Amino acid sequence: MRHLLRSALLLSLLTARASAAPVDYARQIKPLLQVTCVKCHGASTQKSKLRLDTAAAALKGGKNGPSIIAGKASDSLFIQTIEGTHADIPKMPYKRPPLDSSQVALIRQWINEGAQAPADEQPSDDRHWAFVKPVRPAVPAQASENPIDFFIRARLAKEGLSPSPQADKATQIRRVYLDLLGLPPTPQQVDAFVSNASPQAYLDLVDEAMESPHYGERWGRWWLDQARYADSNGYSIDAPRLIWKYRDWVVEAINRNMPFDQFTIEQIAGDMLPAATEAQKIATGFNRNTQINQEGGIDPEQFRVESVVDRVATTSTVWLGLTVGCAQCHDHKFDPISHKEYYQIFAFLNNQTEPTLKVTDLSFNAKTVEAEMKQLEGKITTFIAKQQAVADTWEKELGAASKKLLTKEALKALALPKAKRNFAQNRLLFAAGAGAADQAFRALNERYTELDTLIKNGVTTMIMAEMPQPRKTTLFIKGDFTRPDVEVHEAVPAMLHPLQPTNAAKPDRLDFARWLVARDNPLTARVIVNRVWQQYFGRGIVETENDFGSMSIAPSHPELLDWLAVEFMESGWDLKHMHKLIVESATYRQSSALLPSTINPSPSSRPNPLTFDPKNYLLWRQTRLRLDAEIVRDTCLAASGLLSPKMAGPPVYPPIPEGVLSLGQVKRAWPISKGEDRYRRGLYTFVFRATPPPSLSVFDAPEGFSTCTRRIRSNTPLQALSMLNDAGNFEFAQALEKIIQRDGIATAFQRCVARKPTADELARLGQLDSLTAARVLLNLDETITRE
Amino acid sequence: MNTPVATTQLLDSTRRHFFSQCSMGLGSIALASMMNDNAQAASTAAGPGLPQRGDFQPRAKNVIYLFMAGGPSQLELFDYKPRLIELNGQPIPQSYIEGKRFAFMNSSAGVKLLGTRKTFKQRGQSGSWISDMLPYTAGIADDISIVTTCKTELFNHAPAKLFMNTGSGQFGRPSMGAWATYGIGSESQDLPGFVVLQSGPRGPRGGAVNWGSGFLPTTYQGVPLRGQGEPILNLTNPTGISAASQRTTIDAVRDMNLKRLVATGDDEISTRVKAYEMAYRMQSSAPELIDISGESQATLDLYGVDPTQPSFARNCLLARRLIERGTRFVQLYHTNWDSHGGKGETLEDDFPKVVHDIDQGCAALIRDLKSRGLLEDTLVIWGGEFGRTPMGENRDKTGRNHHIDAFTMWFAGGGVKPGQTIGKTDELGFNGVEDPAHVHDIHATILHLLGLDHKKLTYRFQGRDFRLTDVHGNVMTKLLA
Repeated sequence: MRHLLRSALLLSLLTARASAAPVDYARQIKPLLQVTCVKCHGASTQKSKLRLDTAAAALKGGKNGPSIIAGKASDSLFIQTIEGTHADIPKMPYKRPPLDSSQVALIRQWINEGAQAPADEQPSDDRHWAFVKPVRPAVPAQASENPIDFFIRARLAKEGLSPSPQADKATQIRRVYLDLLGLPPTPQQVDAFVSNASPQAYLDLVDEAMESPHYGERWGRWWLDQARYADSNGYSIDAPRLIWKYRDWVVEAINRNMPFDQFTIEQIAGDMLPAATEAQKIATGFNRNTQINQEGGIDPEQFRVESVVDRVATTSTVWLGLTVGCAQCHDHKFDPISHKEYYQIFAFLNNQTEPTLKVTDLSFNAKTVEAEMKQLEGKITTFIAKQQAVADTWEKELGAASKKLLTKEALKALALPKAKRNFAQNRLLFAAGAGAADQAFRALNERYTELDTLIKNGVTTMIMAEMPQPRKTTLFIKGDFTRPDVEVHEAVPAMLHPLQPTNAAKPDRLDFARWLVARDNPLTARVIVNRVWQQYFGRGIVETENDFGSMSIAPSHPELLDWLAVEFMESGWDLKHMHKLIVESATYRQSSALLPSTINPSPSSRPNPLTFDPKNYLLWRQTRLRLDAEIVRDTCLAASGLLSPKMAGPPVYPPIPEGVLSLGQVKRAWPISKGEDRYRRGLYTFVFRATPPPSLSVFDAPEGFSTCTRRIRSNTPLQALSMLNDAGNFEFAQALEKIIQRDGIATAFQRCVARKPTADELARLGQLDSLTAARVLLNLDETITRE
Repeated sequence: MNTPVATTQLLDSTRRHFFSQCSMGLGSIALASMMNDNAQAASTAAGPGLPQRGDFQPRAKNVIYLFMAGGPSQLELFDYKPRLIELNGQPIPQSYIEGKRFAFMNSSAGVKLLGTRKTFKQRGQSGSWISDMLPYTAGIADDISIVTTCKTELFNHAPAKLFMNTGSGQFGRPSMGAWATYGIGSESQDLPGFVVLQSGPRGPRGGAVNWGSGFLPTTYQGVPLRGQGEPILNLTNPTGISAASQRTTIDAVRDMNLKRLVATGDDEISTRVKAYEMAYRMQSSAPELIDISGESQATLDLYGVDPTQPSFARNCLLARRLIERGTRFVQLYHTNWDSHGGKGETLEDDFPKVVHDIDQGCAALIRDLKSRGLLEDTLVIWGGEFGRTPMGENRDKTGRNHHIDAFTMWFAGGGVKPGQTIGKTDELGFNGVEDPAHVHDIHATILHLLGLDHKKLTYRFQGRDFRLTDVHGNVMTKLLA
């Protein structure tokens, strides 16, 4: 199905009906042959000694004689094989979907017209399109419109489709706010925009939004998904970790509009830049967002290797859009990446130590931490006192073998008489013995340990540092680290642009980072603009946003993708510039509704877009998109007036349902945040990988186990239960109720969905008491959807 | 291949036409039509939907997976090794352990063979060996099929649990229950299609990823049914909200959503309306499910359930009730099987307690399902993430280390040939020598019994088609009836 879809889309792009006008080889035939024939009959492979990458080569033919006889289509081997009428040669393209009749007719016409082609024809490139450097396609000079609209509209026009009308103004402002800031506009902002008739108003709106610091929060989260960011170590123990400084670095870099090439280099190899700053080191947290296994009895090398494997996979997926990870065990089955080349990339990421960096942080307040510790100390002391009998039995029965497993400090504490032990020693012993399997004790104890470390070490963050003596990297047979094979050295896949190392004898991670964003890289710019595009339209121009390899789905608008990629690089990797281009396009500003005028086109001879392109690949309208998990929260917080605009700092603990954190092996503490920290944006909620906050994960927030380049948008009964009954959400409803009582239902409605309610909607809401009305508003599909 | 797509499109445009024609007051009519529209229910995401596909004639409709978290010792329970008892205290022959890796590597060096001190008998018509530690399970010997040669690849708890559940040691892959509900949907309109129950002193290592949906839509993830407090997260109305008020809220949300559906034509809205209806039904069906006061005393006695206490046996009874109500896949976790010999994990004192925790419930479940005619449609699976070594481990008392090369699981019910022992291990119980059953083979077989071809049940993610069995797996034909 995927293959058919891919071919159908791609081929329909290239095909024109056979007609009276002479066929243009360069425009109509050559691209068709390139897509369907050249992989097996081109420069690298010549099945039956035949090449079809120039007309001259086709006329010359191969093992079976000339493929094309000018003027005689029916006698041409080429036609006989694509029609499947040849007695001996199987139907072509071999084991692929056949050409459709209009394409065959077109080729027939070209042959019968004499198989004309330019004399100086160059062979077409037989490499997969994404491995060839993008070239900016021409946009006609008369096109005063946004180039995005030029490409989208040209394609729609070709199919006889029209774009949808512009969305109404309330929808436009809400869309821009949610897409750029992840927050809804206030009713005042909506009213001001709606009543401003100037065409400049929309452009001003976009410019203003882009300068808001919330822009960095919204698009920072986009990047953090890809960076597999979370606040714990993962695997089964899943202890909390400190790496939120990296999160803040991302938000700030996005807000400052740091050029994407620099953004890349600092995250992959910021520690290796000359005189690296603290911020540049913090940035290398990108590759520290791997899991750490703290389970007893493990082989640490196994999990160190796992983390490098994850770094290779993540880096290749995020920047190159390639499934390099497939080559861990064997040569890649579809793309030109060998087993050895995998370990050559691995070598770049295999020479690090993984230190923590003490950082300056003004938000750190020792007094608050100490106060919480004091409280915990009391609770722990009481807890131990209650269980003293159990603790005593444990101590009495302690065998020699078990003693061996205790730490030095624990043994020292044991040697002391009970009365002489201090709080720290009592805690340590209880944790090693009687309390080891007690969930309630562990929750208290681990939080205490966390705070204790914080007081002793201050704020730290996890970073990368290069080892002076690199590790030896070998190929692993079948990807198994216990089966090392030949030694390999740092290098990049041969099919891509060359690495340009500073020191040719010893290419390093910094060279690799620069290679990722080299102007010659055919992939990175395409992959990133595609992923930006995907946020705005629900789907990338390349639908397989994490695979641009030969198994990818062909781009719906290949020229547009290349135009955007080149524009991105030539603008100095300017992300804000790309956002602005997209958001200001008419394509983006279209209505997402299925309007009767659109789906019942006139004249009736024109195709109905709903049957012709039901999934909206050609963007004849915008798409309604359910908001991301964090933005569901943020929108409800904003609508109910509770939202704290506070940015940055340690993760927070808004209320979550009882019992959630005991689902994992170790019950985790969740010290519910006080004051405004209770109402911070979803971005700042603490995420334990093994037991993520349910109100976020129910809306498909990633847990940070591996890179997430596209979120699923599910629509489930558990979401309904969460929105209706979760205590946090109910608190939002109670706050919104007060707003209804103060400002009226229409205002509350606008706070949720920006537009004004219809009379019909007002009548229905009017039947409800204010609390019910508030709950209804927060539960509307529209409230959690960007239209 | 084109027909279903075309049909769906037709349905879609009919629906849109319907809504574009009727602009007002269609609330309940539209709702009734959507609720009855089963074909649509299956293709949208409101619930796991109705049975969706099948490659073969299914032998089982449902699965109950009794997951023994921590790795039970097969050598104390099912795999009877007289020779190992004779060699008790001898060093393990080097040929067995050369080149092998174990958890707690250092403590495994130079360890000696440990013969079991438990006694075994052959049971029932089938003559399967079952330890005296399992008197109840011994009574169902002729209903179960014991496989002694199960084999896995990872020897630490969390990765091995993931491997057993998802076919991969990497986080982020869908679990078996998610694959099953993705493949064949669920028949329950009131309860989730994949439900997880837990007992024992702590949650299983790795937590929710063991029943996660990975890259499949979250619709397919396991929903934990909790032993205490509200059975499903956020199932209870907020404080002060009456049942009537909740209904009023949901009705108003539906009416408002349908108005928006008319304005936008977006089918996701009808999916959401259905999701709210199912959520509402779950609010009453889940408490009804866990209320076992209507069960007869005979049934409670069969399971040995104290209705007021959470327990493995109570979860077994709930599993039956879930299956009766159309849930597709039920997974029970019982923790604390890790038996290294240290405090709280000795073979002498602690292991028997865990065995006792589960024995009666397991057997009762099989008998109960059988007597109600449910066993023929329900596949029951018993086993952990790995087994234990033939070598002993001495800490405070005796224990055994993690062992991945041969361990025991049992299967019963839908499509399983009962009353047999499959596979043979060597005289020490170290390796399987006949009919090895790798985790991938086990997965292939489970899917096969559900009517799914493990090679065809795929989901495209990160550029490739993923399967539960990756690129491996053979159906264990001897297991099939």
